Amino acid sequence: MNTINRNVLSAAVGAVILSLGGPAQAQDTLKIAIAGPTTGPVAQYGDMQMMGAKMAVEQINAKGGVNGKKLEAVIMDDACEPKQAVAVANQIVNQKIKYVVGHLCSGSTQPASKLYEDEGILMITPAATNPAITQQGYKMVFRTIGTDDQQGPTAGKYIAGTIKPKKLAILHDKQQYGEGIAKEVRKTVEAGGIKPVLFEGVNKGQTDFSALITKMKKEGVEFIYYGGYHPELGLLLRQSKEQGFDAKYMGPEGVGNKDISAIAGPASEGLLVTLPADFSADPANADLVAAFKAKNQDPTGPFVMPAYAGVQIIADAIKGAKTEDAVKLADYIRKNSFDTPIGKVAFKENGDLKEFEFVIFTWHADATKTPVK
Amino acid sequence: MSGFSLLEFLQQIINGLTLGSIYALIAIGYTMVYGIIGMINFAHGEIYMIGAYVGLLVITALGLFGVDSISMILLATLAISILVTASYGWTVERLAYRPLRGSPRLVPLISAIGVSIFLQNYVQLGQGARDVSMQPVLTGGWRFGPEGDFQVYLSYMQVLIAVVTVAFMTGLTLFIGRSRMGRACRACSEDRAMANLLGIDTDRVIAVTFVLGAALAAVAGVLVSMYYGLVNPFIGFMAGLKAFTAAVLGGIGSIPGAMLGGVVLGLAESFASAYLQTEYKDVVAFGLLIGVLLVRPTGLLGRPDVEKV
Repeated sequence: MNTINRNVLSAAVGAVILSLGGPAQAQDTLKIAIAGPTTGPVAQYGDMQMMGAKMAVEQINAKGGVNGKKLEAVIMDDACEPKQAVAVANQIVNQKIKYVVGHLCSGSTQPASKLYEDEGILMITPAATNPAITQQGYKMVFRTIGTDDQQGPTAGKYIAGTIKPKKLAILHDKQQYGEGIAKEVRKTVEAGGIKPVLFEGVNKGQTDFSALITKMKKEGVEFIYYGGYHPELGLLLRQSKEQGFDAKYMGPEGVGNKDISAIAGPASEGLLVTLPADFSADPANADLVAAFKAKNQDPTGPFVMPAYAGVQIIADAIKGAKTEDAVKLADYIRKNSFDTPIGKVAFKENGDLKEFEFVIFTWHADATKTPVK
Repeated sequence: MSGFSLLEFLQQIINGLTLGSIYALIAIGYTMVYGIIGMINFAHGEIYMIGAYVGLLVITALGLFGVDSISMILLATLAISILVTASYGWTVERLAYRPLRGSPRLVPLISAIGVSIFLQNYVQLGQGARDVSMQPVLTGGWRFGPEGDFQVYLSYMQVLIAVVTVAFMTGLTLFIGRSRMGRACRACSEDRAMANLLGIDTDRVIAVTFVLGAALAAVAGVLVSMYYGLVNPFIGFMAGLKAFTAAVLGGIGSIPGAMLGGVVLGLAESFASAYLQTEYKDVVAFGLLIGVLLVRPTGLLGRPDVEKV
């Protein structure tokens, strides 16, 4: 490279750096980071979260914003990767954003939550259900969804009480969320007198389950609980059907989205899923559902309304507490209750919801679902 | 665990062979490139991923046009995917390896990793980061064994994978063993400098090697998208790692070694899943690699005179 080129290059680099450090926008908006996966294998859930949160921001702004300021949603992609989640959390800290609605996956929420706690940033996750997240003694961490120690027992009791399989297998994907919930299910069914014949982890991203299916088929397994997300379960369902292994499967809310039907096709018919109650069916939310429908969006996803609620709680708290200080807001949120699309919510000392209900649904091949019972 | 069952054992062998065939097809790309230029093509996993994407897209497109004959779908998909993927293989060699010929060994290695990252992100931008799925085109199979008891199931798709794999392996063996270009390949693998002196266009041989490796990876990709029906831009990494393991296990640089290594690896994973726990299958696969290398540092069928990295 000759000297002239080098000078041109350094001038160009300089220009880029200057433009990056351009004048900051006047602080007339309240920024809320919406952190979740917009890429990667579970981006479908990120869509639900972004959809709900953006709608909340839009509607609150349409009503004049919060204390005269508009809300601004800043989308951050953590791809559901714990490492990237920490990078995203650092970005949020550096951009001096004070409120976060996210993250989505338990595995990425946990490491990010430490940064938020240390930096005094208010975090509300609309989707991470692993109990450990709120057991860290943190003051800044909340969630607008139930936990796996509620979801697991719901599934476990149903298996032990209603299905009563002679041979039960429990599988999980070895991730914080999947393995956590699988253990909860095991605890509940064992208390109900059923001992699983198999408790095993599969690899995240694994595509070939034929050996495992053969083993379960030979053991005569009748019912399988799978803790994890839809890509692996979809392939499990599909390959089970292919091998002529007709056991029934059940999974947590991480498997309940359209893609399971896209992957497994007819094999997804009859899958049991525990999901938050379908808030979009609540008559109180009729206007909101209409607003989503008007934008051609589907409000029935399990994380849409919890994400909406997350943004709304932050906005209501800022109005109610008359402060933008995140630490004071956390205090206010803990002490008050809020009217949201997921019902009237109040929080426990640790940031969990006081009440949250999981419902069992039967999944259908056309990606619709009907409540069991 | 209830006792040992011969039928289950047989089923696990079928499962393992299916998986192993796919590993073997990808492994050949690694081993051929290594055999000739003594370097690992780290972009090979991504080449396979592109093969799988092209396969899935072509099958879906054919479905839209109403083509429903399996042999038509298979032939058209293989042809298109091999063509597209092989051109990627050629481009990788042209851009990441040829300009760096003669530079220290680490340099093309890094450029290949760069290409790998580039391709992953390029497909992610072009096709989206999501899983792309497709319903099976070929379903059904044969059942053996007593009615009402455990039955061995051999699907048409598994047979198809085995047949296609054997066909392409035989083709490759004939090509390397009998054709003029194959002889040039073998000469380059023996001694590239000498082959060059004797008038063989070694650059062309190397390009052909990359193209052949990519073509076989495309075959694996098409089979995978037909069998599992799920691809995303990240499948190349793990598949590449497994195939690389298969190549080293069989003896890197040796084509029969790559075939053997793939099958051994597939069977090992299948048995680990069946008789230990599924979570141990990768532990067993890579443990086997370490074990074999300790006893036979050149792999199962490797030549002892290889002294490269």
